[in-house]
Parts: sequence; structure tokens; C-alpha cells
Amino acid sequence: MPKLNIKDLEEIRKKVRKATLLREGISNAKITVHMGTCGIAAGARAIMNAIIKVVEESGRDDIIVTTSGCAGFCSREPMATVELKGETPVKYGDLTEDKIKKIFSEHVLQGKIVEEYALAIGSEREP
Amino acid sequence: MAYRTHLMVCTGTACVSCGSFNIKKLLEEEIKKQGLDKEVLVVGTGCQGFCAKGPIVVVQPEDIFYQLLSPEDIPYLVEEHFLKGRPVKKMMYTPPGEKIQIPTVSEIGFFSKQRLIALRNKGLIDAEKIDDYIGRDGYNALIKVLTSMTSEDIIKEIKNSGLRGRGGAGFPTGLKWEICKNSKGNPKYIICNADEGDPGAYMDRSIVESDPHAVIEGMLIGAKAIGAQEGFVYIRSEYPLAIHRLEIAIEQAREYGLLGKDILDKGFDFDLQIKQGAGAFVCGEETSLIHSIEGISPEPSQRPPFPAESGLWGQPTNINNVQTWANVPRIILRGADWFAGIGTEKSKGTKVFSLVGKINNTGLVEVPMGITLREIIYDIGGGIPGGKKFKGVQIGGPSGGVVPASLIDLPVDYEKLTEVGSMMGSGGMVVVDEDTCMVDLAKYFLDFTSDESCGKCVSCREGSSAMLEILTRITEGKGKEGDIEFLEELGQAVKDASQCGLGQTLPNPVLSTIANFRDEYEAHIKDKKCPAHVCKALINFHIDPDKCTGCTVCAKNCPADAISGNRKEPHIIDQDKCIKCGICYTVCKFDSINVE
Amino acid sequence: MGNKKVGSVLVVGAGIAGIQSSLDLANSGFKVYLLEQTPAIGGTMAQLDKTFPTNDCAMCILSPKLVDCGRHPNIEIITNAELGKVVGKAGNFKVEVKKKPRYVDEDKCTGCAACTQNCPVSIALYPVEKIYIKLKDEDLKIVKPILEKYRDQKGNLLPILQQINKEFRYLPEDILRYVSDELDIHLADIYNIVTFYNAFNLEPRGKHIITACIGTACHVQGAPGLIAALEVELGIKVGQTTKDMNFTLETARCFGCCGLAPVITVDEDVHGKLKRADIPGIVRHYKLMEEKQDA
Repeated sequence: MPKLNIKDLEEIRKKVRKATLLREGISNAKITVHMGTCGIAAGARAIMNAIIKVVEESGRDDIIVTTSGCAGFCSREPMATVELKGETPVKYGDLTEDKIKKIFSEHVLQGKIVEEYALAIGSEREP
Repeated sequence: MAYRTHLMVCTGTACVSCGSFNIKKLLEEEIKKQGLDKEVLVVGTGCQGFCAKGPIVVVQPEDIFYQLLSPEDIPYLVEEHFLKGRPVKKMMYTPPGEKIQIPTVSEIGFFSKQRLIALRNKGLIDAEKIDDYIGRDGYNALIKVLTSMTSEDIIKEIKNSGLRGRGGAGFPTGLKWEICKNSKGNPKYIICNADEGDPGAYMDRSIVESDPHAVIEGMLIGAKAIGAQEGFVYIRSEYPLAIHRLEIAIEQAREYGLLGKDILDKGFDFDLQIKQGAGAFVCGEETSLIHSIEGISPEPSQRPPFPAESGLWGQPTNINNVQTWANVPRIILRGADWFAGIGTEKSKGTKVFSLVGKINNTGLVEVPMGITLREIIYDIGGGIPGGKKFKGVQIGGPSGGVVPASLIDLPVDYEKLTEVGSMMGSGGMVVVDEDTCMVDLAKYFLDFTSDESCGKCVSCREGSSAMLEILTRITEGKGKEGDIEFLEELGQAVKDASQCGLGQTLPNPVLSTIANFRDEYEAHIKDKKCPAHVCKALINFHIDPDKCTGCTVCAKNCPADAISGNRKEPHIIDQDKCIKCGICYTVCKFDSINVE
Repeated sequence: MGNKKVGSVLVVGAGIAGIQSSLDLANSGFKVYLLEQTPAIGGTMAQLDKTFPTNDCAMCILSPKLVDCGRHPNIEIITNAELGKVVGKAGNFKVEVKKKPRYVDEDKCTGCAACTQNCPVSIALYPVEKIYIKLKDEDLKIVKPILEKYRDQKGNLLPILQQINKEFRYLPEDILRYVSDELDIHLADIYNIVTFYNAFNLEPRGKHIITACIGTACHVQGAPGLIAALEVELGIKVGQTTKDMNFTLETARCFGCCGLAPVITVDEDVHGKLKRADIPGIVRHYKLMEEKQDA
């Protein structure tokens, strides 16, 4: 590695910052992919990778992607929940890579719920 | 492809001792086995502070805290959480006395009450990767001072921030820098004091292990302010992991040209060397430390001249503690006002304490100055284990004193602690409960200091051993009327007549325990009793014949063959043979051994 | 002056004999001039540890006499001086004393030693006596590279000793003598450093080093009991090595693993949160390991 100047240092910072920001848990949007056995069988892993890819392409560093267990609605897998900061979570079902792109650009980036794919708004709670 | 989840495995010394390197390896293997190695990244971080619960793994971004992991847990954990997305409850933290687990770091009292400056990168970066540090604003402060600040500006900023030496004495850092800068002489040196000799304190080790670049950056800024081109880190040889990480960090900084000639093309030169100590407590004293680096007999020398005027090889030298250096980049970056806004009137910022002893959540905590002891011990520390009574807290190691339970609402800062006969010191907080004998504790510290006294001043050399002799006599039940008063007089004499900090502070543990727990001393001397059942000569072990079931466990474990008795009949201890090791007391399942 | 007797005495040489004679004479009422060649009185005895045949501490005998001598109104000490011509006969001598310059105002100097500490040049009063010790080839192979690595560095003694201690697990005397020869450092100065620090050992140590932490946290959590149990189990005291050279028992002031207190380490392995009853099992484990290796 050659000697750095200030510009190089800033570049490293930018690059690493993106990769490590998720450690700090600061986020404006959270996308949860449901990865129970049923979800994985229905292709949830591919969906998750697609989501990670679009997030990366968008350049946004305040969106986190996580996984959770089976959402209980196995027939509509693969599923994902999109939760914008301070808003009710929305569940989407029967996802494909194309649907992901649309959901991401409309809901995550612009805040408009894609109603045609949405399964439910809000989450079930403990009584 | 970016990773979706980062697993922050604590690889500080305490967790490593519990096998965290193995846990990290197993996690990596298991994740690969499950085909998740493109999605889940395993990161080894420095000490995360919650040492009582190691090995620790924190899952980000979910912020989930797993504790006390064993190798057998790993396959299940990986499958459940990272493959199927179901966090595993039974590996989470349960507060003492409660039943429900707390999943996330931010909800655990131990973490949520802390305020991080010196430890801000703990658990968030891989200490062996300079890029991780840079990603967290690392070396930004260096850019700031090299492009837009003169050395006067830097010193003014540090002065305004109110930062004081975190090594214990609390000398204003900015002023120290200024004196050194204005001293005539070239070259000038700067030194980082990482010779953390206080027993029961390990915050400096933790900072070097988890964030070595913060120390390096702090030193670079200090060097720029003072006009030094060479620096040393004097570190204990007992800290191999910290030395290893620091070596890596220095190597990486050199590769990036952040150490060496013409740093960041700004015409500033600075390089850093590691010097290992060899286990002498007095080397934490600055003149003694300088002599140790010079390779001569490390006895302290008279000040003045202060090292700022004539230090290493007779040149102006500035010495600061690890924690002080680690605070510097943040102050430069966020401004003096921000730092001065935290803390009390005369003590600014935060302080890292190592919270150990009879406390549930042992570990490292960074708290704002002025926090009360109650908050530290109960809210962060989770109280005393086993429902025992809180008796006091020993702050500042062998130089400090005991703050008794009655002063639990004392705000912690430099002045308040000195007022009550203790001192900030390097920040070791040893919590003691009703089972700790204060005479024995004072004797323990005197034993340490009399052993570590370099022997230069008669008052310290002879005074410490004379005091130790009296204390030993008291704990052996041979105390005399007037011993307490004599200890007080002798302690004052040692304080007044010794040259360096070691001698001047070594009577503190004795004086403060006499001041606060005089009744315990009197019980030892007059009643020949040790109220805490610690001093061997003053206690006896007896078997309660009504409770003893004759299970023979005690007899089997007795190292002195002092216990006899037939199976299923009450046993008896031969008091002449008994060495009072207490093993029988520990192994008895029926609570039938009494201590008197 | 003629043959008139003068009530004063010149004592030449301010070693212990000269000091004692001066004191006796001065106490008998004579004015004594005590002449000494070196800059300070005390002579060789000041450099000795103990005296024959009683093994009394040399300094303990000497130092009160030094003080008495310095304070005695009848004694005038003339140091840094040599005896020149002596003329006359018993009862009336005329003596020429050549006093070397000190370049320091003797009336003002308090002997605070600040100047010696700050002087950048050091001149050995006594040159290092070389003994040209021959080391065994296998030892030389280890020591030579260490010396070469650090030879030209400032403050190199400590790192050199650390390396040697690491390689040999202790500091053998002949190797220290060799280092003294090579680096031109008095053996006494080397021992000064070696005995100052805890990290150095002058005795050979066992195969396994068992170290019990006696930091504060470990102390209040029961370290003394662990040490007692270790001593019983190994049959040795702290600082000793078992006869079969398998185990050495040591203590350390805090490993910084206070969260695990009380802690012991066996070589590199850390055993934490111990109870006294755990000790026999741990020791047995390493003993068995040794037996297996032997078999």
C-alpha cells in the first residue's frame, strides 16, 4: 500500500463507512426477509440477495436488511416486511426480483406503499 | 456484495481467556457450512466491556447480545438465528434476580447508562484493521490539525476542553502540553504511559486492544502541538495481546504513511516505538518510566526538573496516559465545548472504570464525570451478588482509598474522591461486601506497595514495611492498644516524606479504612475477632453435628487430613491439623460447616 | 616553630580504618585532617554487602560513622586530594597536600545530585573489568543475534535482558557476564536492573509455570485460598519449583482478567472463576499430561 494523502484517506473512509454502518444500528428503513424453512424453499434467499443488491445500488447507507423466522403465512412465501422509521410495517408476499425493485423504489425510497403486492399493513402483536 | 449481518465477537483478553478465539473460528466454520459466508461477516473486536459474561457475540444490525457462549452452542445458534432468523433466547442476558431475557444491547442496563468517548469504537471495529478505524471518523482529527490548526490552536482547544490526565493525578493536559512546547530543546519526545500497574484495573489494556489507532492518532496530534518527532508507548509486558495489536496498528499506520516522514503530504514527521516494561509498579511514575526507557535503574527522580523541561535523555518530554491520548481525537473533531459540556465543574468528560470485585456485572464502564456511585454499582453493575450487603468500594488501587457504603450518593470526580480520602487513580473500582475484611484489604495493598517500593526513600521503603508488619500482627490476633494511632501517625509521615507518588499515596488504603471502618480494626485488636471471617488466625471451622450427614465429601477434600469420622456419622475437624484453607466450607452441600 | 608540638593529626585515606582512627583521635581532643584521594569518604567498605565474620550489613556499620565524621567539629575532611611532600619529624610535620579542582563551589553545593543526573556525558570511574567469558556454542547461537539486534540502540539493556529471559526462561549467570563483557556494562549494574523488575528470573524454572493472580479483584474473590491449595497440591511454596522441574509456582499482580476472578494461569491457559476445590483437578490434569509424555 503506497503512502496516502488526504483524498485517499477520505475515499477509504467512504468505502468502509458504507460497509460498517450497519454495526451502529442507525437506520431509516428496515427490510426483514422471512427465512423459515418454507421461505427458503420458496426462494427467500434469492429474494434477500436481490434486496441487498438494490440497496447497494441505491447507495443508501441507512437501510438495513435482516432476516427473521417463518411469518406463518407459508403459502404466500417468499415474504418480506418493510418498516420505515416511525411508520407501520408492511408485509409483502409472493415476491420476485422484479417486485422487489418496484417495492424498493416506491415504498422504501419514496414512502408509497405498493398496495398491489401488500399482504397486510401492521404487525400482529402479543396480547 | 455487502454483508447483511455482522457478528461482533469480543476478542479482548478476558473473553479470549474464556475461549473466544475458538468461538470465532467455530462461527466462521459453521457459517461456511450453512452457505452463509457471503452474507454474514464475523468480526473480531476488542474488549466490549462486559467481561463477566464472556465469550460475547453481538449481532448487528439487530443489536442482539449473546453471552456465555460455549463451543456446543455454535451450530444451533448459526442454524436458528442466521439461517432461520430466530434469535436464540436462552443465550441472551438475564439480569440478576429476573427471569426474562433481554435481547438487545441497548436495553441492557450495563450498556445503556454508559457514555462513550475513549471507548467509542469498542465492539464496533476490528482492532487489527486500520480501515475499520478510518471508517469511524478515524484520522479525521489528524487531517483537521494538519490542514487548519496551528500548535497554539490545538493546545488552546485541549485547554478549553478541560481534559485532565486520566492516569490519576488529574493534571490539566493542555497546560502540560504548553509547558513542554515552550521548553527549549530539540528533539522533544512524547510518551504514552500504558504501564497499567494497578491491580484490579485494566482499562488501558482494553483501549489498546480495542482501538489502538485512537491512541496513535491522539499521539500524532500531541506531537504536532508540542513539536515532537518521536514517540514511545511504554506498555506492560503482561499484556501480550495489547502489544500484538499495537504492533499491527503501528505497522498499518506506517504503511498508509500516517506515521513516518511527511505525513499526508503536510510536511509533518512523526514515528512511534513500543517499549516493553518488565513488571515494576513504580515505572508508572513518569520519571521512573523515563529511566526505564533509558535502560537505567528505574528509580524516580526529584521533580523539578519536570519531564516537560528535562525528560527522556534530558530532552523535553510529554507523558500522558492511554486514556488521555484516546480522548484527544474526539475533542479536536467535536470541539472543546462539546467535551466541556460533559461532566462536572472541574472534571470534564468521561472516565473509564474497571468495575470488579463483589459485583454482578464485572467489566469496563465509561461514565460521565459526576455520576453517583449508586448509579455505577446498582444500575450498571447490577448490585452485589448473592444478596450480600454492600460495604464499600475501593477506588484508585494501591494509591486510593475505600469509599464506604454511607457515601454511595457521592458524585464521582477528581475533587470529590480526594475529599473523602480516596482518589481517581487509574480507575480501578473494587467493590467489597460484608465478606471482605477491611484490615485484610489494607494489608493486601500494603503488601503490594512495600513489595513494589523502589527503595530510594527511607520513608517509603521502611515505612511501608513497618506498617505492613503492624497490620500483619493485627490480622494474626496480636494487635496492641495504640496500634491504630501509630498507624495513622506513621502513615502521615510516609505521605509527607516520600518523593514520588507511590510513597505519597501508599498510606491511603490504611488511612481511609481506619477512618471509615475503625470498628473492624478494634474488633481485631480488642476482641480478637475478624467480623468478616477472613483472617485465618482469628477464625475456626467447626462441623455442626446436627446438620452433618456423614457424606465424607469434606474428609476426602481436606488437604491436611484434619477431618475424621465414619460414613453416615457426624464428622469432626482436628483443630491442630486444620490449616484453615476453607475447602470443607466450600464443598459441604449441607451447610454444616460453621466459621467463627 | 622549632620543636614545638602541634595538637593535630593527619590521617591519610578515608576508608573505614581511616574514618575510625579519625573519630577516635577527634574524640580524644585532637584536631584531625582526614585526607582522601577520591571525591568521597567511605572507601571499599561502602561497596560491600556484608562483612566477615559476623555477616553484618556493611553499610549499617559504616554509614553512622560517615555521618559522625562529617559532622565532627574536630575533623576536617579534605577529599579529592593527594599527599605531596612530608617534612619534619614526629610531633611536628609539615605536609604538602595537592588538592584537585572540583569545578564546583564547595560552599554552595548541597549534594542534591541533580547535576549528575542531568549531565549528558558519563565517565566510568572504574572501567568495566572484562572476564572474557566463553559461552557454550548453543548458548552463543541464541545470545549473539539478540545482542547484534539491539547493540546500537539507546536504552538497549532492558530489551536485551527481556529477550534472553524469554529464550532461556531465566537469566543464567554466565550469560549475564557475557552481556556485561559485550556491552561494557558493569555486572553490578545489570543485576541492579535484573533484580528491580519482577519479570526476570535468576533461577531456572519448571516446565509449567503456574501463576496465581493476586490482583485486588482476585484477592477479594479468594485468591489466597487458591494459593494455599496450590501450595498443598504441589508441595512447594510460591516462588519455588518442584524437584522434578515440572512446575514452578508464581504469583502476578493482575492479568487484567478481573471479570474472571479469581484467576490462575498454567503456561498460556487461563483458568477463571475458580474455587479452592477446583485446584486439585487442574494440577492433576497437568501432572497426568507429564506422566503420559514420560511414558
